[in-house]
Amino acid sequence: MSTSTDSPAGRSGSRSGGTNSPAGGVAWAFWLRSLNEVTRVRGALIGTSIAPLVFLLGTSGQFGRLVGLPGFPTDSYLSWIIPLCCLQGAGFAGAAAGANLARDIEQGWFDRLLVAPVARPLLVLGPVLGAITRSMVPVTLVLIVGVLIGGEVTGGVLGIVALYVASAGFCTVAAMWAIAIAVHFRTQQAGPLMQMSVFLGVFLSTAYTPQPLLKGWLEDVARVNPVSHILELARQSTVSGIDLSLAHTWPGLVALAALVAVFGALAMIGLRRMGR
Amino acid sequence: MSGPASSSPPAVSVHGLERAFKGGIKAVDGLDLEVREGEVYGFLGPNGAGKTTTVRILVTLLKPTAGEARVAGFDVVSQADAVRRNIGVALQEAAIDPLMTGRELLRMQGALHGMKGAQARSRAEELLDRVGLTDAGGRRVGQYSGGMRRRLDLAMALVHRPKVLFLDEPTTGLDPTSRSALWREVRSLNDDGTTVFLTTQYLEEAEQLADRVGIIAGGSLVAEGTPAELKAHVGEPTLHVDLAPESDVAAARVALSAVGPLVDCQDDARVAIRAARGKATVPLAIRALDEAGIAVESVEVESPTLDDVFAAVTGSTLEGATQGASADQAEVPA
Repeated sequence: MSTSTDSPAGRSGSRSGGTNSPAGGVAWAFWLRSLNEVTRVRGALIGTSIAPLVFLLGTSGQFGRLVGLPGFPTDSYLSWIIPLCCLQGAGFAGAAAGANLARDIEQGWFDRLLVAPVARPLLVLGPVLGAITRSMVPVTLVLIVGVLIGGEVTGGVLGIVALYVASAGFCTVAAMWAIAIAVHFRTQQAGPLMQMSVFLGVFLSTAYTPQPLLKGWLEDVARVNPVSHILELARQSTVSGIDLSLAHTWPGLVALAALVAVFGALAMIGLRRMGR
Repeated sequence: MSGPASSSPPAVSVHGLERAFKGGIKAVDGLDLEVREGEVYGFLGPNGAGKTTTVRILVTLLKPTAGEARVAGFDVVSQADAVRRNIGVALQEAAIDPLMTGRELLRMQGALHGMKGAQARSRAEELLDRVGLTDAGGRRVGQYSGGMRRRLDLAMALVHRPKVLFLDEPTTGLDPTSRSALWREVRSLNDDGTTVFLTTQYLEEAEQLADRVGIIAGGSLVAEGTPAELKAHVGEPTLHVDLAPESDVAAARVALSAVGPLVDCQDDARVAIRAARGKATVPLAIRALDEAGIAVESVEVESPTLDDVFAAVTGSTLEGATQGASADQAEVPA
């Protein structure tokens, strides 16, 4: 090692305390790092992209005839299922942010971030931004493949925007939920709980059939499940029977905002408790 | 070592610090200590003594359940952000993202401490050079050796030129060469004015680096002082003389008793005396034996070690004690 001078006189500022580091630079640094999870891990995107694609193809084949039921808002089950698969891909990308954070906690990396003069919300925001970025790959792939095999983009550009907003929002919700679990359990063993929650959230919604065609308890659950509203927001892109309208947009946006607020608060509470 | 600046406020001050965990177990129990600005403070203790818990409190990773701790003049609970801005931390395991390169990690660390792009890049290069990793800076850290990771970990802790550097068992698991390199760097940093709070299980490390040593056991400080003070507290050095075969042991004992008080010795061919003047006693002893016509095979001055200090204050020995140098030996031709 060389011994270059690093004298106290050269120290940046008087270091009398002061504010945290600028949020933009920190968020950028976290975002860049999060991209390594896909750019430097061989095959990292294959799983998260293939799964929703397989689901898209399998489900449209198995349940394709449901569109014949009275009250089904489209005659293309593929168009019905594309937004669901996009949301699933985005949700699992979000849940992966929690699993990655749990790994960082276990391996001690997160301690390094905690001892940096960084505003605590950025420790949550960084992984979320990374997850949103990563989620765009399966969402785009599903959309492209879906359209190539016969799906319709009935909502035009604005409909696509709605699909991406819903996907990014759902990814954010899933990421915050998963981060809340990660900072609570502080182990990668909590990973299945993160993934399962996303799966259940989607499964207990209007994922496969419209709400009027659901029966019994599932209909009741789907009615109050905010994921149903988020799906409705996304389906403005491809489902001809769901018009692009404010009435179909705001419930999804409110659902996203509410879930982000709740799970974001849970994540922050968990983060604060880490040092107690 | 740069030596403490006595007029400055303490770099670390801890009063009545406690940290209890579930079940009422107190990892830290009424700890009091002060680290002066500019000194290397060795925090010594075995596993489970409370070292790491104390460090985690001081670096704001853990809240105390009682007492007060200030680092760089700031309270670790109510002014945690200010503490974070003034400290550098290299924790027990060099937790470094293996997917990133050394250069990227240093730049990221710069960003976390508010540096702009060019500033962070320049600082990263400076630190890579400082810790001898310039050539490896573009490689992913997953390909680094343990010693390289430790050096990078240290460099990351230095990015923002911290006032107080916390090193938690920095050389655990390193080979002797890597350990020596890290010690040199710590000394160099301290020469530059950085206060270093060093926890270690290795006595040699504490003796080599620390201006003062605090010994923790059961969550409390049981002894504190310079290594020399602590060792003097245990006792004076002992001079052991191995006599040549057929030498007159009784005559040797008489001759050496004029140099220092005799000490009981199990070996018949060996005579031992207290050596209050340490190594300076050696020529006196040799001269006395020579004048008495007694041939000598070897002479050894055995000083009390920090392990002796630890044993004296806690009643047990310290893990890693075998790494400590315990004797200064001089072979003397017969």
